[in-house]
Amino acid sequence: MRAFVALTLVLGLLVPAAPAPAQDAEALRREMEQMRKQFEAMQEQYKKTMDSMAERLERVEARPQPAAAAPPVAVQPAPGAPPATGVTAQRPPGSAPSPLDLITPRQPFALYERRGPGQLLFDMGMVSDFVGNLTQRNVQKAEGGTFTGRENRFFPREVEVNLFGRIDPYAEGIIRFEFAQESSDREISATLAEAYLTLLTLPFGTKLSLGQVPVRFGLLSHLHREALPQTDAPNVLTRFFGEEQFRETGAEISWVAPLPFYFEALAGVFNGDNETAFGRGSLRYPLVTGRLRTFFDLEDFGAIELGGSIANGQTPEQLNDQIIGFHTKYKYQPAGWQRALFTIAGEFLYGIRQVNVTDPDAASPVEQKRTRERNGWYAYGEFRPFQHGPLSLWSAGVRYDRTQFPVNPGREWAVEPYLSFMPSEFLRFRVGYKHTERSHRDGVNLNEGSARTVDELFFQTTFFLGAHPSHPF
Amino acid sequence: MRAAIQALSSSLLVLGLFAGDVEAANKIGVITTTTDLKALTEAIGGELVEVEALARGSQNAHDLEVRPSLMAKVRRADLLVVNGLELDQWVEVVVQGANNPKVIGGAPGRVDASAGILVLEAPKTRVDRSMGDVHPLGNPHYTVDPGMAPATTANILEALARVAPQHRAVFERNRREFLGRLDQAMARWTVALAPFQGAKVIVDHNMWPYFLTRFGLVQAGSIEERPGIPPTPGHITKLIALMKEEKIKVILIVPWGDRKLAERVAQDAGAKTVLVASAVGAVKGANTYVDTIDYNVKALAQALR
Repeated sequence: MRAFVALTLVLGLLVPAAPAPAQDAEALRREMEQMRKQFEAMQEQYKKTMDSMAERLERVEARPQPAAAAPPVAVQPAPGAPPATGVTAQRPPGSAPSPLDLITPRQPFALYERRGPGQLLFDMGMVSDFVGNLTQRNVQKAEGGTFTGRENRFFPREVEVNLFGRIDPYAEGIIRFEFAQESSDREISATLAEAYLTLLTLPFGTKLSLGQVPVRFGLLSHLHREALPQTDAPNVLTRFFGEEQFRETGAEISWVAPLPFYFEALAGVFNGDNETAFGRGSLRYPLVTGRLRTFFDLEDFGAIELGGSIANGQTPEQLNDQIIGFHTKYKYQPAGWQRALFTIAGEFLYGIRQVNVTDPDAASPVEQKRTRERNGWYAYGEFRPFQHGPLSLWSAGVRYDRTQFPVNPGREWAVEPYLSFMPSEFLRFRVGYKHTERSHRDGVNLNEGSARTVDELFFQTTFFLGAHPSHPF
Repeated sequence: MRAAIQALSSSLLVLGLFAGDVEAANKIGVITTTTDLKALTEAIGGELVEVEALARGSQNAHDLEVRPSLMAKVRRADLLVVNGLELDQWVEVVVQGANNPKVIGGAPGRVDASAGILVLEAPKTRVDRSMGDVHPLGNPHYTVDPGMAPATTANILEALARVAPQHRAVFERNRREFLGRLDQAMARWTVALAPFQGAKVIVDHNMWPYFLTRFGLVQAGSIEERPGIPPTPGHITKLIALMKEEKIKVILIVPWGDRKLAERVAQDAGAKTVLVASAVGAVKGANTYVDTIDYNVKALAQALR
């Protein structure tokens, strides 16, 4: 059987190779002519393609080549790059300057002349976030609006200048300056909002950030204010951490597990400068934080993030404060869509805080230590129902939050529908309405005003200059 | 509190042990930002590599949402192949969240596949955002042109050889064989599109200059007036008038583009839309790099006939 198959194969291969007896000279001639024409056509095509490539080569050589992320191999100078200016530029790297180098005048504008993409060696980005709000007169008097002291005003909530880039092969750095109007005095304050380095090459999938960092606690507390999904932060976050973003000075280490799904663990040690929640401000009694976060990509069914956080520190009165949080976020993005059709997210905070209280009715008032257990939560949903066209630039959402006051008695709840319009990735307009109701006038009863029921209209304009903002989950 | 710390420590320990097993895989783990680069890397690496792409073929690789699942993939990579020319800048955020020093910028496990290619449409004058989401380094869609594969695969080969120098000979052989197959296919594609030299087409997104130049076709206009910004009605009216005047019969559309708008323009201008594969896996039948170019050449030739 095997011999028969082999014979068949051999015959099969030989037969087509042999000249067909029926094929006459005329047919062969026609076939050759056809092949010759095909060959000429292909030759012509190749000639045109080569001409076109030569033209492209000329065009490319006429300008400097972009600096590509080069592998660590010997790099040839880019063809057409402008000639190096100055004697020092012609010296082999690493060699000492010769006496001739030292006496030769430097080219003062050499950097400008040779400047090209990537030669600044770090990146810059700017964000400008303006917010306006309208509310009742009594709320303004009591300074009980969402933007305390800036009720019924349009003000620069946050103008950021971000400088970021690699420090060396082992680390990267970020410096962020922030200009903002934060109180009723209409002064613009300039602050160093963030300044930290991150060591990138540590072993076992770890990374260490040192300096003034946004503390990654929960879902939103570390975000820049212009990056929040609504105009303002949820009341529960403002009550527990203050209106300022939760940022601290210290060290934070992160570990990403080498697993088929995402799992990240974070731990941080900080001064504890956040005045709303902690404020002890000493490394002898540090603020210690931790967060565990995981993520499941459900492909056609969306994606979900789950996380838990903890922060433990001391208040200026040398009393303990511990905040525990859980968060989740779900997004559904149909196949082929650039953005999620809808997003649902929520976060729950639970605080255990020691406070000193004095009973005013006692004959001899004595401070007593008490423990306050308080909680709060928020949830929001956002919809972007159109994939293409002008309507795809719009999104709408609503947020509900409910919280107890962390120290004093009382609670509040709020609901906030909003509408966003993004003509491009670099420009956003947002309007929103927020209704808040409070059980007490805690902290919002200044000037004999009342702010138990607050209705506010928000207007927000945000624009970005510089690098394209990425879209984190 | 103590119980919480104990639970956390235990879970980290368990995950750490699990991690050890996962890292024991023998193949070179490669992550690419696009499916085109995945296909090219697989052609060079063959059986020695395990490649995953971050963007799906049918997605717009300009603007991907940075999901932690992408970070989990990059966390385990030995090599990260990026398109470069600012197409996939989002990958920097992915790398930041992946905690993998092997693939950070400047590391041996990082390769920009565009290094050394002849870049088209690099602006010669100052650009700003009034022009939309422009690419200041030039048009980044070079992988749709099979003529760019020699340069791109050379970059990938060097990176693979850096990570696994003992397999350089295999990578070189695979590349030679792949480029040989591509050469044969290129002759076929050139012949197929030869009758349409100089033909004008409209595109929905400006991602075909390399491909069209390669085969002697001309892009006469784009539905997208400025990158990343929906076109104005005025632009659409002008485009339809241009198509009628110049008798342009074909609009190339990509799977993630606005198909309804393209079809409306085509209907008004008496033209037809042609769905083309913006990357490997973007459409049915475009499963390999050669299949993808085959699909595009056939679709275009058929529409222009």
